[in-house]
Amino acid sequence: MTALLELRDRLKYFYSKNEVFILPVGKFLLAFILLTVVNDKMGYMTRLDNIAIVLIAALACSFLPNFFIILFGAAFSLLHMYALSFEIAIVGMVVYLLMFLLFFRFGPADSLVVVLTPLLCCWKVPYIMPVAMGLLGTPASAVSVGCGIVVYYLLLAVTTSAPTISTMNAGDATAKIRLVIDGLLDSKAMLVMLVAFAITVVVVYLIRRMSIDYSWTIAMVAGVVLNLVILLVGDLVYETNISVVGAILGNILALGVAKLIEFFRFCVDYSRTEKVQFEDDEYYYYVKAIPKMTVAAPTKTVKHINTQRKASGRYDNRSVGRGSTTARRPQESQDDYEELF
Amino acid sequence: MLNEERVILMTKMASYEAGEGKKNMKIGKYFRGDYIAWQILKSIFCATIAFVLILALFVFYDFEVFMQDIYEMDLVGFAKTILMYYGITVVVYGAASYVVCAYRYSKARKSLKLYYQNLKKLNSLYKENLS
Repeated sequence: MTALLELRDRLKYFYSKNEVFILPVGKFLLAFILLTVVNDKMGYMTRLDNIAIVLIAALACSFLPNFFIILFGAAFSLLHMYALSFEIAIVGMVVYLLMFLLFFRFGPADSLVVVLTPLLCCWKVPYIMPVAMGLLGTPASAVSVGCGIVVYYLLLAVTTSAPTISTMNAGDATAKIRLVIDGLLDSKAMLVMLVAFAITVVVVYLIRRMSIDYSWTIAMVAGVVLNLVILLVGDLVYETNISVVGAILGNILALGVAKLIEFFRFCVDYSRTEKVQFEDDEYYYYVKAIPKMTVAAPTKTVKHINTQRKASGRYDNRSVGRGSTTARRPQESQDDYEELF
Repeated sequence: MLNEERVILMTKMASYEAGEGKKNMKIGKYFRGDYIAWQILKSIFCATIAFVLILALFVFYDFEVFMQDIYEMDLVGFAKTILMYYGITVVVYGAASYVVCAYRYSKARKSLKLYYQNLKKLNSLYKENLS
C-alpha cells in the first residue's frame, strides 16, 4: 500500500508540475480518438475521413475550451449525416439543438461526459460512466450521461438505417426522417439504459455522501449491482437484447475503475477515525474526522561533500556543486568529515 | 517583509478569482429576484425554440398525412392543443430553471461571503503589518 501511495503522490506531483503540457495533450488525444471513431463508424463524407483534417481539428481542440471537443464531434457527425442525406442532418441538428438549449445551459461543467459516454458505448463499456459520475459529480450528472446515451443511439439509428436511406429517392424526405426518428424513439435499449444510468448516478451519489464507513466502496458496489439488475430486468421486460455477459464484465470493469477513482480522490484510513464533540455559542458540533492516507514524499537530500585540500598551511573547503568557495577553520572542516562518515 | 499567512491567503483568493469566483461574481452582481427572473426569461426563450423545433419535426414526420388532414381538422382545436402543450413545456422547464437558479444563487452568495470575509482578513493583516 505504501508503494501505491508513493506512486500516487509521484503521479500527482508529476501532473502538477507538467499540467501545462498534460492537459492539452489529453484534450488532443480525446478529440483525436472521438473524431477517428466518428469517421470510422459513419464515414459517409469521404473528404472528411482524412487524417490531416482530424489532426488539425484535434490540435485546435487541444488549446480551446472543453466544449469545443463536443462542437467538433457534433460538426463531424452532422457533416457525415449531411453526406448521407440532408433530411437526416436536419434531424441530427434538431436533436443536438434540443440538448444544447435545454440541458447544456445548466451543466457545461460536465461537457466531457457527453463525449465520453458515446465513446464508451462504442467500446461496449458504458457502465463505467454512471458509477464514475456518481462518485465524482452530482445528481445533475445524470442529465449529461443521458445526453451522451441519446447521442450514441442517434448515431446508431443513422448508421443502421443508412443502407435503406441511400437507396431512397430525394422525394422520400419524410420517409427518411421517419426512419431515423422511429429508430431513435423505438429503441427500448436506449430507454432502459437511460433509466438504469440515471438511477445509478443518483444512488451512487447519495450513498457516497452518507456518513458511514467505507461509503465510497458501498456506493460503487451498490451502483454496479443496481445498474446490472435494472439492465437485466429491462432486458426481460422489453427484450432489449443487451449482452448479459457483456453487461456483467462491463460492470466488473466499472468497479475496477471506480476503485481507481477512489484511490486517487478519497483514500482514507477508517481505522483511525476520530469522533469529537464540542460546542460554541450557537451550535453543538458532532464531528467525525477520518484521516487521509498519505505517505511522506521521499525527498532527495543533497549532501555537499567538502573536499579537503591543504593550501598554504590552511584548510580550504569547496562546496561541491555550488561553485562557491569558502575558507573555514580546521575544526569546522573536521566536523564535516565526521558527519560524512 | 514577507508575511507567509498573507501570501497563502492571497494565493487562495487569486485562485478563487480566476476559477469559480469569476462565475460567482457575475451572479453576485444581481439581486436574487433579478437573477432568477433573468434566467427564467432565458429559459422560456430556449423552451420556445425547443418547442418549435419539436413541432416542426412532428409535422415533417408525417407531412403527407398532415397536409391531407389539414383541410378537415378543427384548426382552432388543434391550435388550442398546441398552445396547451407549449404552456406545459414552458411551465415545467421554467419551474426546473427556477429550482436550479435559486440553488445556484444561494451557493454563489455563500461562496462570495466567504471570499469577502477573507478579503477583510487580508486587510486586517495588512494593517497589522503597518502598525
